[in-house]
Parts: sequence; C-alpha cells; structure tokens
Amino acid sequence: MRISDRVSGLFLALLGAAAFWGGSRLPPVPGQQVGPSAFPMVVGAGLIIVGILIALHIGRSFEEQAEAELAEHSQPDPETELYERRRQWLVLLPPGLLVFYYLVSERIGFILTAAFMIGVLAWAFNARRRLILPVALGGAVFIHLVFFKVLRVPLAPGLLPMPW
Amino acid sequence: MTALLEGFHMVMAPDVLIAILASAVYGLVVGSLPGLSATMATALLVPVTFYLSPIAAVATIITASAMAIFSGDIPGCLMRIPGTPASAAYTDEAYAMTRKGQAETALGICLWFSALGGIAGTLSLILMAPALAEVALSFSTFEYFWLAILGLMCATLVARTSPIKAIAAMLLGLLISCIGIENPAGTPRFTFGSTDLLGGIEVIPALVGVFALAEVMRALTQKDMPPIPHRRLGSILKGQWELTKAYPKQQVRGNIVGIIIGVLPGAGADMAAWVSYAMAKRFSKEPEKFGTGHPEGLIEAGASNNASLASGWVPSLLFAIPGDTITAIAIGVLYMKGLNPGPTLFTEKASSMYALYIIFILANIIMIPLGIMMIRASSHILRVPRALVMPVILVFCAVGSFATGGNNLFAVLVVAAFGLVGFTMEKNGYPVAAMVLGIVMGTMVEQSFVTSLIKSDGSVLPFLSRPISAILALCTFIALFWPFFAWLRRYKASLDAASPAR
Repeated sequence: MRISDRVSGLFLALLGAAAFWGGSRLPPVPGQQVGPSAFPMVVGAGLIIVGILIALHIGRSFEEQAEAELAEHSQPDPETELYERRRQWLVLLPPGLLVFYYLVSERIGFILTAAFMIGVLAWAFNARRRLILPVALGGAVFIHLVFFKVLRVPLAPGLLPMPW
Repeated sequence: MTALLEGFHMVMAPDVLIAILASAVYGLVVGSLPGLSATMATALLVPVTFYLSPIAAVATIITASAMAIFSGDIPGCLMRIPGTPASAAYTDEAYAMTRKGQAETALGICLWFSALGGIAGTLSLILMAPALAEVALSFSTFEYFWLAILGLMCATLVARTSPIKAIAAMLLGLLISCIGIENPAGTPRFTFGSTDLLGGIEVIPALVGVFALAEVMRALTQKDMPPIPHRRLGSILKGQWELTKAYPKQQVRGNIVGIIIGVLPGAGADMAAWVSYAMAKRFSKEPEKFGTGHPEGLIEAGASNNASLASGWVPSLLFAIPGDTITAIAIGVLYMKGLNPGPTLFTEKASSMYALYIIFILANIIMIPLGIMMIRASSHILRVPRALVMPVILVFCAVGSFATGGNNLFAVLVVAAFGLVGFTMEKNGYPVAAMVLGIVMGTMVEQSFVTSLIKSDGSVLPFLSRPISAILALCTFIALFWPFFAWLRRYKASLDAASPAR
C-alpha cells in the first residue's frame, strides 16, 4: 500500500484543516482566554504546514539516504517482491477479522468467533490443512481458559458455553 | 538503607520471582521468533499485568523486554533473519561468523555482552534518575512544557526517515490524544457524538494495533522462513572473557552510546544497535574485516542495544516521557498500578524504585543461564510454524485489548484501526514511534501548555525567562532546525563537489 507523498501530504493537510476548524468551534471556558480549542488548533495548523511540505517532496533527500543505507543490508529478490505484491491485499484480513469479532462475538460467543478467526488466518498463512481445525479449536479453548478462568475477563459464552 | 532492604524484600516475594521467571521464558521465546518484536511481546503482556501486584507487573515488562532483545540475536546468528528489529544491524556479521564455523562464539558474544550491557544500562539508571529527580522537583509547568516539546522533537530527529514526515506522525499522535473529554476544560472534543470516544483513545489498544496487529499484517505478505538447519553447538561462553579483555573500548563505547540513545525519547534498542555498529566500523583499526564475521562490531552493537533498555526508563520514570516504544507501554502500566511517573516517585516510593533496579540486575544475571538454555532449545522453538503462531496472536490482540479497555468491545475496533494506520504509515516512511510518542504524551503536553498560558496571561515571556526553561527552549529550537542545517551542509558539499577549484 504505497501512497505517493503528494496524496499523503495533502491528506494530512486536510486533516489538519479539519482539526483547526473543528477546534475553533469548541465552546470557550467562561472567564479564561485559553480553552479547549487552543491545542487542537495549534496541532491542526502544524499538520497543515507539514502536510504541504510533504506534498512538495521537501525532506525527501533524508528518506532516500536512509533507504540507500537499508538497501546495502538487503539484496532485492524479484521472486520475493512478486510474492509480496500478489499477497498485498491480504493485509486487510487481520483487521477485518477484528471487526468480525466486534460484530458477532457477543452473539455467537467467544469460542466460535475465536476459532473462526484462527482458522481463517491460519489458512491465509498456508498452514497445513489437517492442522487448521485442531489449532483453531485448541487455541480458542486455551485462550478462553487463560483469560476467562485465570484472569476473569468476562468473555461472552454465546452458543457454546464452556464448563468452567 | 531501609528503603533498599525493603526493595529487596519486595523483589523476593514469591509472586514477583515467579513473574520474573515466567516472563523471562516468554520474552526469550517471543524475541527469538522472527516477526515478533520485543515491543510486541511487551504490548501483549499488558492484560496479564492487570492481575499482578505493581512490582510483579513492572518485573514482567523489564524481564521480558531484556530477554527478547537478546534472543532476537539467535535467529540472526543461525539463519540470517533478525528476531527483532534491534538485531537487524548486525545480523549479517553474526551470520558470517556462523558460516565460518563460529556460531558458538557469535551467540556467546550476543549473550555475554547483552547481559553486561544491560547491567551497565541499569547502573546509569541508578545514578542518573535520582540525581535528575532532585533537579526536576523545582520544575514548573513552563519547564515541563519545553521538556515535553523537546522530547517530541528528539523523536523526530532520530527517526531514520524524513524529519518532516516524523513531525507529521508526531502531530497526528497529538491530534489523536485530543479525542475525548480528558482536556483542561473537560469539553468533549472530536467525539462525533459517540459515547465510546468520550473517554478518548485508550493508549494500550492503540499500541497493540500499531505494534502487534501491524506485525501480523506484515507477516501475511512475507514468505515463510526456511527451516533451520540442525547444528551441534559447543560451549557458548568459551572465549568470551578473552574477547572482553581484547575489546574493552568497544564495549564501553557501545554501553555509553546505548545509554544516551535510550534516554533520548522515541529512540530505543534498534537505533542503538545501528549507531553502535556504524561507530565500531568507523573507529576500528581493521574496518575491512567488517561483514566477514569479525567480532568487533557485534560486541559494540550487542553491548549497546541492551544498555539502551534500562536508560529508556530514566525519562519515563521522571517525566512520563517514554525513552523508547517499550517504555511507552510501561508508562501506561505504571499509571495503572499507582506508580505515577514523576520526580516524587524517587522520594515517596523509594523502595519501589530500589526494587526496580534489583529486578533489572537480576534479569540481566539470569539472562546468561536461561539464554544458554534458549540457544540450545532454539532449533526446536524456531520450528514452530508461523502459520499457527500468528492467528493465536490475533485473538490475543482482541481479548487483551478488550480486557485492558475496561471490557469494552470498542477497544477491539481501536486495535483494528491502529493496525491499518500503523501498517500504512510504516510502508510510506512515516515513523510509527513518533506517533506513539504523540499519543502517550499528548495529554501532558496540552496540560502544561494550557496551564502555562493561563499562568502567563497569554504572554510568551514567562516561557523563556526562567533559566532552565530558557535552556530547554534553546535545545528545542536547535532540534527543530537541525534537519535544515544538515540539509544545507549537504547541499553545499554537493555544490562544492560539482564545481571543483575555482
């Protein structure tokens, strides 16, 4: 997910502008000159400035220097690069699985949700097929045991309550 | 003296000793697995520290991080894959020694000089922290304001990328810290009507996101490592004493550089290793041997990265300014456990501070026997398939953040969001450590900024009129404009090179 400096810089500048505007609309504290709006406005103004500087590629020479130093220590391999490029969309899977946990764990319970997450991610990592199911179930039960029983974290029982 | 004895008593409690031993094993295993960093090991420990006594909680973090930084060297030596980023600087050198048939010596150097470096770092903590605490007792909000800004600027200076991007990352962190009602006026800011955002973004789930989840995401795109070859290893510590006597200067220099980098906010073990390795090469009498399996650089960098760990606690304990990413997490735990950072910690809770020093020394001593065991067991542990470890870590991220975020499922969403943010930033050259520093220090920066402004009645003069605050302000401005001068010098040098002898 390489984004050009122009895009990321402009995004930061817009974010800074939004923060500045949002900060300026905060209600002041009666009888005081400085209120809750001062800090977000200062930070927002800073973000606008650095965002524009980044979009203009200022400071890029420092990055090139660091990249050159790093390149000395690793040799590029076209096969590895292709592999990485082909799998780049997979990076959305782990955060996606956490959103899944947020949405369903209360309803179907911790064990089923966690087993599903482990199973899917192990599959994405090319785990051996016959290992996926035992690890998914075993891992879910183990984590439940540690967090629910030992650390007393209230994990949702859902459809498959555990005997402890 | 009674405080020292009390400290001993605290460390010798059975729960603390068990916590040290268990977290040592945990740190050694997690650090040795490539893709799992020492910071990640610490972040995943936090939910467990919830249920421990304050001293045991701090002990787990100290021990696990020290062990993880050492054991990251093991796969570097044996397979040319750094276990943690802190080992990356000298992985080639260590592996070259292994190829020459000196795997034992390489691993021994990493272990022996790590332990010595850790103890040197601890001594610096023992000497520096109480002395600085004396000075810090007289600080007013003006000094705290400059100190915080200086800390943030340091983090942008040491980042191995564009300083402007580092400042952007730091500002982003400060903006994130604005969310919620925890500001001097108690006004809800940037909550968009969500009750979950009223309490602000919890630090620990955000750190789990950028340090643990982002690592899982990165691992998904990377190839699995090759299987580790079986190797019979001889005596690990053989010859280390001779090396200690042969390279005393390198060791001491490594320790000192590590200590300095550790104290600097935002820079930690990985930076210390890079700088020390480069320094060893620069000042060596035989620089041509570097890269071919020469112990000199390994000694200096190994002595450096472990020394930085303890000194990173100096600004963290005194000012709640994290010295590195590990202490950024530790500060959260300190607050949780009622050991609020500040200079008074050294007067009011002196026995706890002694306990902390003792734990550091103890951890670095038991590192030697446990490290040898870990090296012997590594060929088995490194065989654990990544495909099975990473998914379990994902669920740990979810449950751990749920538990630390007050049993609120919203924390899981925070982890997901920060995983995405951290991953994208890293890929595009925005240093994550600078953002983390912004998030951790945001509330403190704002508080000292607003209180100082109110006290000074809007005038800038009091910010500069007190002697210490004037010095700190000067340092801050130097740090702010340093990249510009560096660029100007380089630009001039390139101009001179382009037009020789006029």
